[in-house]
Amino acid sequence: MKKKPGKRLKLKRPSFFLSIVLVFCILGTIVTGISRKITQEMSAAAVQNLSESLDLIQCTIEAIFRSQAEFQMLIAQEVARVESPEAYILACERNKSMAKMSLILSGETVGVSNDGEPFDAGSLDFSGGGSILDLPVSRSYVNYLGAWAYTIQCPVERDGKVIGTLYGEYIYDAIDASLPNGFYNMQACIYVMDAESERFVLKPKGMGQRNAGHLNLDDFYRANDIQDEQIRAEVKGCLSSGKNILFYHDIQGVHALNYMWPVNDGTIFLVGYVPVEAIQQEGRTVNQSILIVVAAMLTAFMLCVLLYYLSWRERDKIRKEREEERKIHSQQLADALQAAQIASESKTTFLSNMSHDIRTPMNAVLGFATLLSKEAENPVKVREYTKKILSSGQHLLSLINDILDVSKIESGKVVLNFEKFALNDVISSVDAIIQPMAAARGQSFHLSVTGVRHEYLIGDETRINQILINLLSNAVKYTPENGQIWFRIIGLKQRSNQYEHICIEVEDTGYGMTPEYLKTIFDAFTRAENSTTNKVQGTGLGMAITKSIVEMMGGTIEVFSEVNRGSLFRVELELRILEGQDSRQFWERWGISRILAVDGDPESRENIQALMNDSGIQLDILSDEKKADAWIKSGAEYQLALLNWEVHGTAAVKQLREALPDTVPILLLAEAGADLNEALSIKRVSVLAKPFFVSAFQEKMEEIWSEKDAEVPAEPDSGGLEGLHFLVAEDNEINAEILMELLEAEGASCEIMENGRLAVERFQQAAEGEFHAILMDVQMPVMNGHQATQAIRALERKDAKRIPIIAMTANAFAEDEKAALDAGMNAHVAKPLDMELLKRVIRQYVR
Amino acid sequence: MKKWNKKKARRWLSACLAGLMVSSLAACGGKPDSVNVLPKEEEEERLVNLFSPMEKTDPNAENVARNACDLTIIMAEERLGTKMVYRTYTAESYQDKTYDDVTLDRARHNMDDIYLLNPDTLLILGAEGKLMDLSGLDNVKNLREIVRVANTVDGKLVAVPQEVVAYGLFVNKDLFDQYELPLPETPEEFLECCRVFQENGIETPVGANRWWLETFVFAQAYADLYNGGNTEAEIAALDRGETRYSDYMRPGFDFLKELIDRGYIDAEKASVSEAIEVERPDFLVGKTPIVMAYWGAANTETAYGKTDFEMQVIGFPSSRGPMPVISMTGFGIGAEAEHQEDAADLLNVMLSDEALQIYSETNRVISPSKNVKVDCVPALQPLNDRIEEGIYVLGANAGMNVEQWGNTCLIVRDLLNGASVDECMTAFDELQNAALER
Repeated sequence: MKKKPGKRLKLKRPSFFLSIVLVFCILGTIVTGISRKITQEMSAAAVQNLSESLDLIQCTIEAIFRSQAEFQMLIAQEVARVESPEAYILACERNKSMAKMSLILSGETVGVSNDGEPFDAGSLDFSGGGSILDLPVSRSYVNYLGAWAYTIQCPVERDGKVIGTLYGEYIYDAIDASLPNGFYNMQACIYVMDAESERFVLKPKGMGQRNAGHLNLDDFYRANDIQDEQIRAEVKGCLSSGKNILFYHDIQGVHALNYMWPVNDGTIFLVGYVPVEAIQQEGRTVNQSILIVVAAMLTAFMLCVLLYYLSWRERDKIRKEREEERKIHSQQLADALQAAQIASESKTTFLSNMSHDIRTPMNAVLGFATLLSKEAENPVKVREYTKKILSSGQHLLSLINDILDVSKIESGKVVLNFEKFALNDVISSVDAIIQPMAAARGQSFHLSVTGVRHEYLIGDETRINQILINLLSNAVKYTPENGQIWFRIIGLKQRSNQYEHICIEVEDTGYGMTPEYLKTIFDAFTRAENSTTNKVQGTGLGMAITKSIVEMMGGTIEVFSEVNRGSLFRVELELRILEGQDSRQFWERWGISRILAVDGDPESRENIQALMNDSGIQLDILSDEKKADAWIKSGAEYQLALLNWEVHGTAAVKQLREALPDTVPILLLAEAGADLNEALSIKRVSVLAKPFFVSAFQEKMEEIWSEKDAEVPAEPDSGGLEGLHFLVAEDNEINAEILMELLEAEGASCEIMENGRLAVERFQQAAEGEFHAILMDVQMPVMNGHQATQAIRALERKDAKRIPIIAMTANAFAEDEKAALDAGMNAHVAKPLDMELLKRVIRQYVR
Repeated sequence: MKKWNKKKARRWLSACLAGLMVSSLAACGGKPDSVNVLPKEEEEERLVNLFSPMEKTDPNAENVARNACDLTIIMAEERLGTKMVYRTYTAESYQDKTYDDVTLDRARHNMDDIYLLNPDTLLILGAEGKLMDLSGLDNVKNLREIVRVANTVDGKLVAVPQEVVAYGLFVNKDLFDQYELPLPETPEEFLECCRVFQENGIETPVGANRWWLETFVFAQAYADLYNGGNTEAEIAALDRGETRYSDYMRPGFDFLKELIDRGYIDAEKASVSEAIEVERPDFLVGKTPIVMAYWGAANTETAYGKTDFEMQVIGFPSSRGPMPVISMTGFGIGAEAEHQEDAADLLNVMLSDEALQIYSETNRVISPSKNVKVDCVPALQPLNDRIEEGIYVLGANAGMNVEQWGNTCLIVRDLLNGASVDECMTAFDELQNAALER
């Protein structure tokens, strides 16, 4: 069982968070429970506290009442003692508590007050005022001071006999002074209510909200919306029974505890409310404190969690980075190891292959050389063996060239040699090589060129050749007999006016490649099949070289392949267009102003039109011979006619021949190998190999007109080198001997010098014209070929500057050729020697 | 940047933790300043008693007028550090002592420091020398002249109002429109409107109480006196006894009598009704198309500040068209008040332009200060237009030797209780004679 850490982590996270949530829920429940319990307890305590406060106020007021009653009893005793009670009363002064003192003697209805006014007790109602210390108390009323007041009635007794009644008037305001200042931080409200009239007779100034003002109980309840029937009934009951009541009711939107508290046996009541918030102030504070503590703890906890998380994240990040780093290192090491192993394996395989591949032709060379030495007298055998030796030698040479190419490309020493070239030449030369190879294997080789607008371009013709030959030779190699091979040159839409955008496609119906092999096809030292088990021979470097060259040229190469279905290689190149290639002069020179072209293939027509665009001649391209016939009959005069033979056939040629004057040549556009005998038997009919190129067209025209005029001198005989004498600088004795033999076989002679210095000295000593040319090796002891050439050219002799010096060296690369030319040599011929090539070069420079 | 932020965050975190630690340690290390655990007693509070009436209140209703006054009081308290203590009284019924009676008693016995005085009481108390001369207060210089005149007794400015109270007729415009009646401007038009209303089933078109019916009388009595261009001379003639108050008052009483006789006013009900209390419900439900009240009632929810119909406040009918009746309820300070100095300082602040601006804006009333102007509610616009034109009568004028507001009120009550117009005029003559004798 494999562990899945990611999944486990994902599963763990929700449970971790759930745990935290659970802890918080439990904590919240506990805190809420505690808070509620505290609230309830504090509320109960507050109710108790309020009750005690109201009891205290009640007691205070009752104590005041008692004091007033006692005071009045004392005055009554004094009045009883004095001789003139009325005089005594008149002598009494008003004070803050007592507003008026009056006396009505027994038997009289009107008495006297301390303010000197007559006093009539008839306006006082002692029916519902209760009593204090058994003294009757009147109902509350607004007295002459404009204040709510009450009167206490006290009998005046002398010797056990009532001689009068003393009336003491007290104002409720007097109570205010004896009450504590502040009631629940002035948030509460308290009134003193006369029970009988339910009028509010006092609102103590220090005992509640100052701006509230109510007339009576009904007004108070209406204003505060206390309309609940049950409450009103209970309140009524309390009023009649003189009991107290506390109930909750919102006052002005504030939850409040309302109360009615009887004083003096319910003759007056304390009425008001206290906001619950004010009552539970301590409880709220405690709860707030608990919440603050809990919040602080939670914050601390969260902070710790956060710090832990940050720390963990930091460590995790570092750990991951290290792991990543380790992984990368391991990967790099593994990659390096694998690369090294692959490289080692590749090199081993390559060496093995090379060993095999080199030994095979070498074996043939040596084997046939041995046979040759035995069969030297048999000219037939000699020729056969020599041919095979040459063939094996050529193969060996190609192997060596490929190896060296790869080596150079990999070391970055390859330099492209940009020169003008004609696309036609490239295609012709490639076609000339591949066509026979394909034909030999019974394969159909199809060549087509479409959409190319310019055929004179600038590029490394040799390397382009190399690309094409690599691709095509592979196609030939890896396509079974009777297979098909397509070679297409397609002109793509130009990205710039200065560049021709060309797509080269090589498609075959060959063995194809597996997807795995496709991934490594462009790697060096790989081959689809092991050469030891496959008939196909090769270095496995071709595609790597091809890709490198394409990329050096700024192009792209891609491959599509399916096993047993075939392969398609597509190369895209952008080649600079050679400016100033005007073919007008050519046509003018030959007096050609109008050409008829008959081509049923639209692509081909388009191609011809595109290429002939700048020729300055009138080109009439028609799709069939009948139209051509009609045109001709209409009077059109042509100097030349082109006809696509594959499309129209011999009959069309004949028809065209009849229509045109005999002097007008007809060129048949035909693929190589086409059976044209019948067509060519028609008068002034020649063949122009497809694809159509202006340069090829011109060459063909020159050829036709030359034949016609028979004025052009015949090509000089390209036979031997009879009579020529060469100075040869060659340090390798075998090579020198081979060269000497070869030259002698061609009827020439030579003198061999072992190094450059000797060659220079020999040339100095030689008479002018003694040597027809100097064949110069490059790598030599004492003085190399370049130095020697420079020395010769520097000699003050007439022929020093003009004697042809031909480099003959194993330094076979383009830069080697350039270096040779730069040193002053006239030409460069690579080793191993191709005698035909050497002869051509010599004939070119030695006249 | 990211690194820098992290670094910064770490620094902040470290600083916060350090701060937390320091504050925690500091909290642990506290030491009480004194061994006495009782809280320090605050400095003795300076108190000033204010005696004023109160309105019966509805649940959770906001009393704008009361609030406006409270705002100025709070401002004064905060500025001076003095506390105003409210003492209130309102008669529960007509059988009780009136607020004015109680005010007189309390003022005469120096029970309070500041009194909110109706025009009649301020004249009485001013004449008795029970009120302090307020002309020395800094802010009285901002008062309008009319205010100063109306509150000056024997050359003393005995009271200063926070608003100029304009009385008017509050009419249910929708009902007038319903019966296609134009708003009445003259007594005749008013009677016609009442007739139409009554014919259409509104038995008592005018809702009245025992306090404000005298406004009808003042409008007709003094329309020419205050708007005829000869005011001072006419008042002087009255004061000298050359002309009789009864001559001025008679048309108004005749008019009232007619209203009563035709049943447009329920005299019996009015004679025992407190202001607004009885007529308000019928007016609000559209049973009564006309009531009378003071300016501020149009802004006060507890009065007529919130109606379901279009209400307009117009002047009382008179020969000179709609006539606002202006009266002033002013604050006076007892001449021998216990906290007279603090009371004067408080009142001075309450009368500052700043305070009156707050008052007027809150209550949307006419300010006694010539420097304060506030837009009125749309319903009051007709009344306001007349006042702005300078057309109104004073309900009280301390310059007249017969107190107007209170006396007329009492005599109107007699009318309500069945007295004839002649009897009422006799009462005025007696008052004038008594004044002339003084």
